[in-house]
Amino acid sequence: MLKLRRVAFWVLLIFILTMGLMGCGKSTTQPTSSEGKEKLKVAFIYIGPVGDAGWTYAHEQGRKYLEQHVPDIETKIVEKVPEVDGEKVATQLVQEGYKVIFATSFGYMDGIINVAKKYPNIIFLHCSGYKTAPNVGTYFGRMYQARYLSGIVAGKMTKTNKIGYVAAFPIPEVVRGINAFTLGVRAVNPKATVNVVWTNTWLNPALEKDAAKSLLEQGCDIITQHQDSPGPMQAAEEKGAYGIGYNSDMSKYAPKAFLTAPVWNWGPYYVKVINEIKEGKWKSSQYWGPMSDGVVGLAPFSKAVPEDVRKLVEEKKQLIVSGKWDVFTGPIKDQKGEIRVKDGERMTDQAMLSFDWFVEGVQGTIPAKK
Amino acid sequence: MSEVLVDMRSITKRFPGITANYKVNFQVYRGEIHALLGENGAGKSTLMSILSGFYRPDSGEIRIRGKKVNLRSPREALEHGIGMVHQHFRLVEPFSVAENIVLGTTGRLQFYLNRKEFADRIARFAQSYGITIDPWAKVWQLSVGEKQRIEILKLLYRGADVLILDEPTAVLTPQNVRELFQTLRQMADSGRSIILITHKLQEVMEVADRITVLRKGSNVGTVFKKDVDERELTRMMVERDVLFSTANRSHDIGPTVLRLEGISVIGDRGIPALKYLSLEVHAGEILGIAGIAGNGQRELAEAITGLRPVAGGRIIVGGQDLTNQPASRFIEAGVGSVPEDRLGTGLVPNMNLYDNVILKDYRKPPIRRGSFLNHRVVGEKASRLVSEFNIQVSDLSYPIRMLSGGNLQRLLLAREISLQPKLLVASYPVRGLDIGATEAVYRLLIELSNAGTAILLMSEDLEELLTLSDRIAVLFRGELMGVVSTREAEIEKLGLMMVGSLAMEGRRA
Amino acid sequence: MINSWLANRFGLRVEKQIHVSPWISLFIPFISIVLALLVGAVFLSLTGNDPWKVYGVMFKGAFGSVFGLSECVVNAIPLLMTGLAVALAFRMLLWNIGAEGQFYMGAFAASWVALSFPHAPAYLVMPGMFLAGFAGGALWGLLPAIPRALLGVNETLTTLMLNYVAILWVDSLVYGHWRDPQGYNFPLTAQFSDAATLPSLGNTRIHAGVFLALAAAVVVHIILKHTVWGYEIRIIGESQKAAKYAGINVVKNILLVMMLSGGLSGLAGYCEVAGITHRLQESISPGYGYTAIIVAWLGKLNPWAIMVVSFLFGGFLVGGYTMQSAGLPAATVSILQGSILFFVLAGEILTRYRICLVERRNDQ
Repeated sequence: MLKLRRVAFWVLLIFILTMGLMGCGKSTTQPTSSEGKEKLKVAFIYIGPVGDAGWTYAHEQGRKYLEQHVPDIETKIVEKVPEVDGEKVATQLVQEGYKVIFATSFGYMDGIINVAKKYPNIIFLHCSGYKTAPNVGTYFGRMYQARYLSGIVAGKMTKTNKIGYVAAFPIPEVVRGINAFTLGVRAVNPKATVNVVWTNTWLNPALEKDAAKSLLEQGCDIITQHQDSPGPMQAAEEKGAYGIGYNSDMSKYAPKAFLTAPVWNWGPYYVKVINEIKEGKWKSSQYWGPMSDGVVGLAPFSKAVPEDVRKLVEEKKQLIVSGKWDVFTGPIKDQKGEIRVKDGERMTDQAMLSFDWFVEGVQGTIPAKK
Repeated sequence: MSEVLVDMRSITKRFPGITANYKVNFQVYRGEIHALLGENGAGKSTLMSILSGFYRPDSGEIRIRGKKVNLRSPREALEHGIGMVHQHFRLVEPFSVAENIVLGTTGRLQFYLNRKEFADRIARFAQSYGITIDPWAKVWQLSVGEKQRIEILKLLYRGADVLILDEPTAVLTPQNVRELFQTLRQMADSGRSIILITHKLQEVMEVADRITVLRKGSNVGTVFKKDVDERELTRMMVERDVLFSTANRSHDIGPTVLRLEGISVIGDRGIPALKYLSLEVHAGEILGIAGIAGNGQRELAEAITGLRPVAGGRIIVGGQDLTNQPASRFIEAGVGSVPEDRLGTGLVPNMNLYDNVILKDYRKPPIRRGSFLNHRVVGEKASRLVSEFNIQVSDLSYPIRMLSGGNLQRLLLAREISLQPKLLVASYPVRGLDIGATEAVYRLLIELSNAGTAILLMSEDLEELLTLSDRIAVLFRGELMGVVSTREAEIEKLGLMMVGSLAMEGRRA
Repeated sequence: MINSWLANRFGLRVEKQIHVSPWISLFIPFISIVLALLVGAVFLSLTGNDPWKVYGVMFKGAFGSVFGLSECVVNAIPLLMTGLAVALAFRMLLWNIGAEGQFYMGAFAASWVALSFPHAPAYLVMPGMFLAGFAGGALWGLLPAIPRALLGVNETLTTLMLNYVAILWVDSLVYGHWRDPQGYNFPLTAQFSDAATLPSLGNTRIHAGVFLALAAAVVVHIILKHTVWGYEIRIIGESQKAAKYAGINVVKNILLVMMLSGGLSGLAGYCEVAGITHRLQESISPGYGYTAIIVAWLGKLNPWAIMVVSFLFGGFLVGGYTMQSAGLPAATVSILQGSILFFVLAGEILTRYRICLVERRNDQ
């Protein structure tokens, strides 16, 4: 009995302390209600944490841009949602009254389609997928264009003619990026090769760093990545090599190594699509934003990039933005040296969206399909 | 003999449905050997478990050296110098003897720094109490007798000055008992106190200074040995005079039930435990196996019940060759067994009585109905056995580990007997039991024998073997020293055979 | 200085509780949860949140709406089945840490049936998937059981290691041979035919697997309590010596129990692909097979208790996301969930052991 009394005492003590602390807590909370007209409630579902300095971070920057540029909206995020839980979280958000939901990872696709069937009045925007519905649109950017430009930088600056590419998964999006990058490299340096290592993860800083280290060991002197953390950049920094990042400007993680990075810039697109929705003009579509829309681009060059390279990249960029030429324009050979895209021919979006082969100059394999 | 070392005052302890101790007063002086006597369920073990910190009393107080203490664990009790050797050992089986002894003491660093020296120290320490041990032997390889010695050593090593021994002599040979008693006397003379839980009146009369008798949870009285005799003690314990007799023993010996043809068995330590052993046991016969613990009795019992493969020879039960057949075949062939390790092998401590009574025949209808257990039949069987064999239990659905030693043994025997075995292998069936329970077990064995069952009885108590057996076989280091008819047996000769000094001619017939 | 003096002078000791009153064993989990919430509240206050609001949102999110409740059930289905699987093996002191891998292999085998027979009618493909799911998990459970039964190889490590094999096997399929030709080369298999998907209840995501999970609980209960086999399992779990004494074939039972345990996890995998994802893809389980160990432990290996615990755990997972939409970062939610689990498990352990402060003696 004595023991119980002691337990009770502790419980009570902690309870009182907690109440006290919560009193303090309350005074600092801000009133959440607001006056004025009804706000459009917009929610974002993220695969990673907003602090990943990569994919999710870039979307989060876009959301902040949206909040600053469109009045009368209320935004909300749910981060670190595994792909199988996308449907659950989307439904929760609908039930909390959100009218527009951005789902920012490919794996949410089936779940979003399922929820959309149940709630036809809610608008879903799914990043990087291929399934649509009257109330589900997809959006993505032609990152390959920026990848190509970064490839030019790498091709010009490599000394060993070996460039390392830390890649997440062998899916078309990643394969396309590798191919575009390699075409950029080979356009200015036909002797250079791009060595690919798969990590089978989007976000695992330690693993990504290790993968980059193994590439550096093999003699690569420039590292680029299709990963969400700055791990590969840090590996390059430690080795005194160069690095080309991804997703966002990663210069602060590797000030000496960092050259540039193909980056996402979702803000303008988010503003555009929300304005369409507010005006009632939105229609389901598959948006694949080119560089001319500003959705993708290159982060500012570091001091290490010489003037002639900058100029070369700028010329190519103007060409792409003008629409007169695009990256996957023939002749393009595959790894075996066979012509896959004939001279002067442009690959269709359909073909680019289901890339399952590497262009000439890539050292690496894609798991075989039946 | 002046200072009161332990003073338990008005101790009461209740378990669900049972009052184990009721207002018990108990005092131990420094330097005395104090025997605690009582029938099963009299509350001796409970009282001592309270003193050694395993249980906490519901009311009452304990003073040690005049200071009131609150013993919340065996460890705290040990810190106050009180240690107990239980009937069911508390040793870590995969560990070595030395490791078990050092386990939980503060000398661990020294141990790891110098294992060799430590082991030597343990061996010397043991030797100083007349006990020979191999400090590197793993505990699971030891016989029950050896394990008990380790338990005693463990406490001595930790410097316990109040030593509680629960039936310590049950597993020792007469010679070793004498040695143990000498050791205990030395310890008492050097100022330690010994509390002896025992049922053997002659031992009490031999070694104790004072005797406390418990009956039904209460203290009947504490007396000086010099003031009482055995008969009076018996009366205090059971309120009646007990006279055991084997008068109703029939002696119709039937056909051979068990035949061992030169079996050899390898023991746990990889060395032969039984060598070319040949034996026959007949229906209606009780064959006693005498020998000091660790001379092959356990391996013999395991081989005959199918739990241990034989390396050579044949085992024939009722005409069937069962050599190296699985244990289930032995059960089907009508081999029952009362194992040495009652709680843990013969019975499952954490399961209830229902589950325990069907351990051997759950595979057979009517207990089995298709793939299911027929709970109704199980319930009937359990209630029948409880009433027929007078098992005292407050609730059939409680785990049986709560039962007293005598009740456990009655339960175990009840189950084996209910299967009407052709052969019963009984290993030390009365070890740790009091007079009443012992008498009950004897009566059951004799009734079973009269009904035609062949019984193989292992015991270290020659008196017991001489009382019950028709013939006695003596084992020494895995070999049969000889088989003698009880009528012709002389206790001295048997004793010499047990230590290997005498062998019967033609023992390897 | 004072600290080191204290450390030299006193030590902590863990001792087994000899007696646990049933009252305490009910009281402690309750206290643990209350304490966990209070500590969580302190933490929330310190990070500038209103604990009552957060807890309210968590509770409401999980149990306050039809959708929340339905999602608890959705999560509870695989947790219940894997929890039962783990508990069954634990009953026999077989430490099956491999429920995750068995889940994946069940999902794999069921998917194989669905993808191989896209035009088969439901009455053929459904039982086929069920059997395949069970068999896939059962074989994956049998694999580590064989060395365990025959050679005594510790199953904790082998079952754990086989998890990685199973997960990577599924990965290699969805990235390789089984990629949907119409799926733009994304790592997904083709969608199952309608005949190969489990119907859902009304407008919720609860699928027919819920009946399977409940039936599994009943079956496990019946096996353990009422069958001859369950009796053998219980005996072996309590005492191997007694089992051998009773003539029970321990080797056979190790194999059978690991097969049933694996089979149940495999069925959970089957339900997940047939009821939720409708195709095989990577990371179909967010760690159900591991959470199952906690579920089984908290449920004290009792099928009914595991049922309740897996439902509450389902709520725990659902509530996590609603807390985020109440403005809590994911990391804070994880810390909160972790501390609640910690307290509940610690409370569990404290009902069995106690920790005391002891004065060190310097006499040795």
